[in-house]
Amino acid sequence: MNGGGSRAARFLLDLYVALFLAYMFAPLLVMSLAAFNDYPYPSVTQWGGFTLRWFPALLQDERLLRGLAHSLVIAAGVVAISLPLGLAGALVLQQLRGRAAGFLYAVMVSPILTPGIILGISTLIFWRELGVPAGKFTATLAQSSFIASYAMLMFLARLQRFDPTLEEAAYDLGASAFLFFRRILLPFLAPTAATAAVIAFLQSFENYNTTVFSIGGDWTLVTEIGSRFRFGLSPVINVVGVLFVLATVVFASLWVWLSERRRAVR
Amino acid sequence: MRFDRLVAVEPTDLDIRAGEFFSLLGPSGCGKTTLLRLISGFLKPTTGRILIGGRDMAGIPPSRRPTALIFQNLALFPLMSVWENVAFGLEARGVAKAERRRRAEALLELVALAGSADKKPAELSGGQRQRVAIARALAVEPSVLLLDEPLSALDLKLRQHMRHELRAIQRRVGITFVYITHDQGEALTMSDRVAVMRRGRIEQVDTPERLYEEPATAFVATFVGGSNLVPARVRRKAGTECLAETPLGNFRARNPQDLAEGAEGLLFVRPERLRPAAGHDNRIRGRVVERAFEGPFLLFTIETSQGQRLQVQWLNEGDVHALAAEVEVGFSAGDARILPPGPLADER
Amino acid sequence: MSSGALASLDRRLLSGLCWLLAAIWVFGLVLLPQLFMIETSLWWLERDPQATALSQRIDRLYQEVMLRELDLQAAPVERRPLLEDEIARLREEIALLEAREQQPVKVYGFANYARMSGLHLQVFLRTLAYSVLVTLLSLAVCYPVAWTAARARSRRGRALLLLALVIPYAINELLRVYAWLMIFDYEGLLNALLVRLGLVDRQSGGIPFLTYPFTTFVAMVYAYILFMVFPLYNAFESLDEHQVEAARDLGASTWLLHRRVVVPHARPGIAVGCVMTFMLSAGSYSVPQIMSRGLGGDWFSQLVYRQFFEANNWNIGAAYAFSLLLACLVFVGLVMRLFRVGIREIAR
Repeated sequence: MNGGGSRAARFLLDLYVALFLAYMFAPLLVMSLAAFNDYPYPSVTQWGGFTLRWFPALLQDERLLRGLAHSLVIAAGVVAISLPLGLAGALVLQQLRGRAAGFLYAVMVSPILTPGIILGISTLIFWRELGVPAGKFTATLAQSSFIASYAMLMFLARLQRFDPTLEEAAYDLGASAFLFFRRILLPFLAPTAATAAVIAFLQSFENYNTTVFSIGGDWTLVTEIGSRFRFGLSPVINVVGVLFVLATVVFASLWVWLSERRRAVR
Repeated sequence: MRFDRLVAVEPTDLDIRAGEFFSLLGPSGCGKTTLLRLISGFLKPTTGRILIGGRDMAGIPPSRRPTALIFQNLALFPLMSVWENVAFGLEARGVAKAERRRRAEALLELVALAGSADKKPAELSGGQRQRVAIARALAVEPSVLLLDEPLSALDLKLRQHMRHELRAIQRRVGITFVYITHDQGEALTMSDRVAVMRRGRIEQVDTPERLYEEPATAFVATFVGGSNLVPARVRRKAGTECLAETPLGNFRARNPQDLAEGAEGLLFVRPERLRPAAGHDNRIRGRVVERAFEGPFLLFTIETSQGQRLQVQWLNEGDVHALAAEVEVGFSAGDARILPPGPLADER
Repeated sequence: MSSGALASLDRRLLSGLCWLLAAIWVFGLVLLPQLFMIETSLWWLERDPQATALSQRIDRLYQEVMLRELDLQAAPVERRPLLEDEIARLREEIALLEAREQQPVKVYGFANYARMSGLHLQVFLRTLAYSVLVTLLSLAVCYPVAWTAARARSRRGRALLLLALVIPYAINELLRVYAWLMIFDYEGLLNALLVRLGLVDRQSGGIPFLTYPFTTFVAMVYAYILFMVFPLYNAFESLDEHQVEAARDLGASTWLLHRRVVVPHARPGIAVGCVMTFMLSAGSYSVPQIMSRGLGGDWFSQLVYRQFFEANNWNIGAAYAFSLLLACLVFVGLVMRLFRVGIREIAR
């Protein structure tokens, strides 16, 4: 840490950061611990002994498993919708200047600044008026409305680093707009598209507030977990939590390892 | 062509001959890039026409003009290999892959890059990338190759080498090169003819030799090569020559623009034409106030008693160390010209 | 004419495709749904105001039918078809009127918004006030952490700290909040600890933490802290280290350094963090749902949920949702004005 200051101040700041990290991680530890408790309700205070029996119990829980399948389907749909929409939005914004660009930009980022439940509600109402009942389809669209905004921002940032003379060079050599798009612009955007796809997938998979309002009688893994809070908890939910933690740690380590290796190669 | 209300290129008749190496020379902002973009089709002229090979280019987009552009930053496609770059124009024309590869390799051979077909542009040196850009432009078999200061990013040595290379390639392929530069050295060494531009206006179109020896305006005289200009008035005309009256005295000079007696003008002499005084009609005395040794020659400045400073360039013949504190220089009437007054190149 | 290339047909086609997709997104997924929501909030269904008069008429018609049916039994054969026709006609009319009587009418007005009075208005205002508090709390908690992370000397240390911040976020929001539920519940970790320390009597059933607003605060700050940390971190990181050193060198205290150098530089980051945190808190459904479970007073989002899925009154639900959206827009506008930040900067 830097920025001068006395040694005591620095110590206090470091201590504060340590406390902050404890604040971040302690609850996860508590939650994970309860997954291994042989007690019918999630608890760490009533210790019934170490067990792994909640893990196979999860595999018996059909609603959770089907919820997982629904989550995956919806997330795939969100990626397929929000990436093209976000890219198109970014390309349109790039063509505009001045007031029109500012206005359109505001409209396109507004879903990010709108509470998730409102995105869910408005989608629900809109599609009911069109005669489409709430379900996986409406949930997919409700999520896409704001995830496309994230994709748009990422594509826009990447496009700002695109050398416009490459476009002129391509046209000068006789390329059609489609050839330019396919052979030059898309390859340039590919890394961003990959990152955007991962982020869109995760955002969709984790989403609760928007989904719970727009999915109707259907459910995803996350809304199913949400409804368990009303209708009875079991340590199976903690098992899901442990799996989330494990997946995160694995992916994070993989990411660190990959970036370290990439740096080593250079 | 107008940007809003600012006139970027004045009405100009410019005739570029097929197969020549033609340069557009001028300071930055003089409109030479605009002219190039008009030819390539990225800009549409407000008035006037552009004809290539006798065909009017109005309404024809860049992709269908018989021109190919080499950009200042080269604009190589960074994610494609060298041969894919070269073959891109063929891909756009629907040529089959095997044929593309074959022709790309032939072109790479032409620019001496046969072994680098599968590399990425980033793996090449500056000069090699230059040659890839040329090969890429040649692949579409243009009748005119347009080059927008392509050497400006290179270091001095490479730049000088590439001048010869470009000229050699142009001779080999035999098509028209239109070359944009603000570097007079590039323009003079490579070109068959040069157009000097100032503020959207073409000042003079000529061969490099005539441009240097017979500049038509004060701007061309000062922009191309070194120069000395002294305010003058035509005292007496005598055929193509005249007697010019200046604060430094009266001198005999050529009068190519046929200025009338009594007309104001500028007397122009190149620094290397101010020689040791012996044997010349026109003589000037001055104190040496600055000297710079440049190896093959000596560059120095003299100041006359009237306070006029003149640049002098003498060949180093082993005796320059003996330069006196005060010298007399002379020039022949054939080396001096009286030009109409006008704006100068502002670099000096 | 303006600058710009000659756009060929395929370029216009591609650009048109982009516009089409963007329009689908902007209208189909964003604007139209919002408009439909607003429209829904502006009407409700009511019984026809003429329903009483109608039902009296229907009653009269029924009596007529009964009379005719009595007549029918007494009537001679040749008059029967006439009476039967009449009865059928009357029944038809009854059916028509009954349909009208049961058909509610759509009435437009602001009554749905007026329904938000008393308790609901209190919940609305409390939610907004609590959200402001959560935002300020998050800002206070995150500022030192983001500063430390951004100023970390070693790349490695910085990366590890960031990773430590990100990891809890890859775990689902619900599970993150659930972890706090396990700590604050009656049977939770905190109560067990207090009992163990003898500070709380086991028989009392523990301290009802979940009924206190601060537990919701703690969980909410925890749930949305990353949306504050990252904008702050990005803003701090882009601050030139030399500016900090220069301020220190000129004798600035930590307070002065932050007030005069760091905060003015980090304005956009602070604004983004505040806007995001406020929006997420005010619109949060998961955190209050899990943490308070009706014990600690409602969050506005829970009211909205109940209007939709329990009371099944979408019109009132839409009105409430739009009120929340308006409140968030006002907050965004206020923050942007307070920090003098444009919409372009509100983007990570």
